[in-house]
Amino acid sequence: MIDAVQLVQNLVNGIGLGLIYGLVGIGFCVIYNASGIVNFAQGVFVMLGGMICATLLARFGLPIWLAAILTVPIVALIGVVMEVAVVRPMWTRGASIFAIILATLASQMLLEQVTLLTLGDQPRTFNSFTPGGPLMVGGVAVPYQLFWVLGCGALMVGGLWLFFTRTRMGRALRACSQNAEAASLLGIPVRRMMMLSFALSAALGAIAGILITPSQITAYNIGTPFGVNGFIAAIIGGFGSAGGAVAGGLLLGVLQALAIAFLGASFKNVAALSVLLVVLLVFPQGVFAGLKTLRASRR
Amino acid sequence: MKRRITLAAALALALAGPVHAADVYKIGAAVGLTGYAATTDRGWRDGLQLAADYLNGKGGIDGHKVELVVEDNKSDPQQAVVAYQKMMSNDHVQIFASGCVSAGNFAAAGAVARAKIPMVLCSILPRRENEIHWAFSFLPPPIYELQTRMAYLKDNTQIRKVGILNDPSPYAMLMAKLAETAAKQYGIQVVAHETYQQDDSDMSVQVGRINAAGAGAIIKIGIGGSTVTIAKNVKQLGLKDMLLLSGLDDAAPYVQAGEVLGDHFMFAATAVQIPSAVTDAEAKAALDAFLTRWKAKYGDRDGSAASRAWDAMMVIDKAVTLAKSTDGPKVRDALEEITHYQGAAALYEFSPKQHNGVVKNPFVMGEVKDGALVQVK
Repeated sequence: MIDAVQLVQNLVNGIGLGLIYGLVGIGFCVIYNASGIVNFAQGVFVMLGGMICATLLARFGLPIWLAAILTVPIVALIGVVMEVAVVRPMWTRGASIFAIILATLASQMLLEQVTLLTLGDQPRTFNSFTPGGPLMVGGVAVPYQLFWVLGCGALMVGGLWLFFTRTRMGRALRACSQNAEAASLLGIPVRRMMMLSFALSAALGAIAGILITPSQITAYNIGTPFGVNGFIAAIIGGFGSAGGAVAGGLLLGVLQALAIAFLGASFKNVAALSVLLVVLLVFPQGVFAGLKTLRASRR
Repeated sequence: MKRRITLAAALALALAGPVHAADVYKIGAAVGLTGYAATTDRGWRDGLQLAADYLNGKGGIDGHKVELVVEDNKSDPQQAVVAYQKMMSNDHVQIFASGCVSAGNFAAAGAVARAKIPMVLCSILPRRENEIHWAFSFLPPPIYELQTRMAYLKDNTQIRKVGILNDPSPYAMLMAKLAETAAKQYGIQVVAHETYQQDDSDMSVQVGRINAAGAGAIIKIGIGGSTVTIAKNVKQLGLKDMLLLSGLDDAAPYVQAGEVLGDHFMFAATAVQIPSAVTDAEAKAALDAFLTRWKAKYGDRDGSAASRAWDAMMVIDKAVTLAKSTDGPKVRDALEEITHYQGAAALYEFSPKQHNGVVKNPFVMGEVKDGALVQVK
């Protein structure tokens, strides 16, 4: 039986991982908001963020802040290339959303193989942004990197909220999601918006990858589990709002940590997928939208 | 005239076909080039190729040019079955020299045995008697590696309680069971047993549970980058006294884990990883023969898995020469007659009752000093 300190420790561990799932989930939401496409290559942006940053650090001896600043636009550019080379031609030719989604999955495999061939198969990592630690609070260890994840996560959620609600470009992106044809008639450059959404989404994935790598490793094949868990986080959060995705990620991360603690590691994914099933059955529009509807109906 | 030319061409083709087939000895390898076993199995694949090039440079195996047929099983048992079937039915391979994905080799072993094709493996032997009959392992028995770790704890530390942390592959599950046996042999108690999935990105919960159970060391079992993640988790949880003991992995994750935990990280090292630990003249000569060629082509890359693949190919060479045939059953019989073959990775002794070739513990305890692997003094 685990004691209270262990329980809190597990919650802290779950929060750290859940935040990353949430950040990946936001990436799903950004593209979905702009185009209605679920980009299954989202996990690969996380991998690319970690791999490119680790490579810049190891090969060129750059300081971490500079490597991170360079990595984000590089990955964003890869996102743009993916949109221009894969998604846009299919979109223009009227391919179904399912076909485009499948193409994003194929892009993930392609990018993994390109990474494998160019950067190799060895796992990579780099040091925490703040050396030392962890911070011990009543027997519970809180790694310094968790504060970076928390801080960057909050900044990203806040920034995205402002972007989507307070800027013309953000509003234009949302308009494209609701009705691309109508948005186009209103003079919104829909294609450019979609490209922007891929760049933004890839950048978010890259930041998640840079934030998580000091806590573990990165390798050409780590994208899939992050993509799957980020997707689940986005669905729990209602596949639309950044805050919902982060909350979904936190819930998922904590549930996985508790499942490992109480049931064993083999039940981690069982727990995650069970939660997804329950959410889909009870709240098809996501937990938060579902609770909102429930509250409204009670009034 | 035209008819004569056509007939002559047909005759030439008819003669050329069988001669070409007889000249080639096809060796199939189902390897995990992607997935959790990628690092090890890429090493195995490259070791096979290095040996094939070397043997072909000497005129091949018993006069037959060696042709490697490599299929990626993606570290997945189902994909491994597909890969094995393709190599048997399409490529008509004559012997298998497959990688370290034990579950994949197990899944295909029945079909391979029915086809009477010998298989030399980087993994442990399959479980059924009729499958073992056709399989030969070049992997040191898992207990050796565990005994090396337990002996270190007993002889050099006060730690008498450990926790096991393993992935769910058949090999790791077997090792986890053996770890309990090895621990008992050395008066060490296993107080916690945790598992992780190969694609897990965080093992803090498992590490925390092992610590809470009172363990002073983690016996980590499984290949891939998970060693580094566990090392980072140990540090993030502030477990300053916890030792992490790993094994059977690549030098790259060892170096990274060593950089995280310093002298609190150790591993059961192979001869290739720490060549200076080999003192026997015959073993040193065999190791040098491999390392010279390996380093010329791959530089400082860890050649542990590759050295076993190299040895496997040299043993196949000996067996075919001994059998004077490439016929599967005859080569299988000859493999059982290979005794006292000093390879680069270990000394191999096969017999009808001994299909695990490695009978002497080849491991030493290693640690990371200044970014290099060195023997623990």
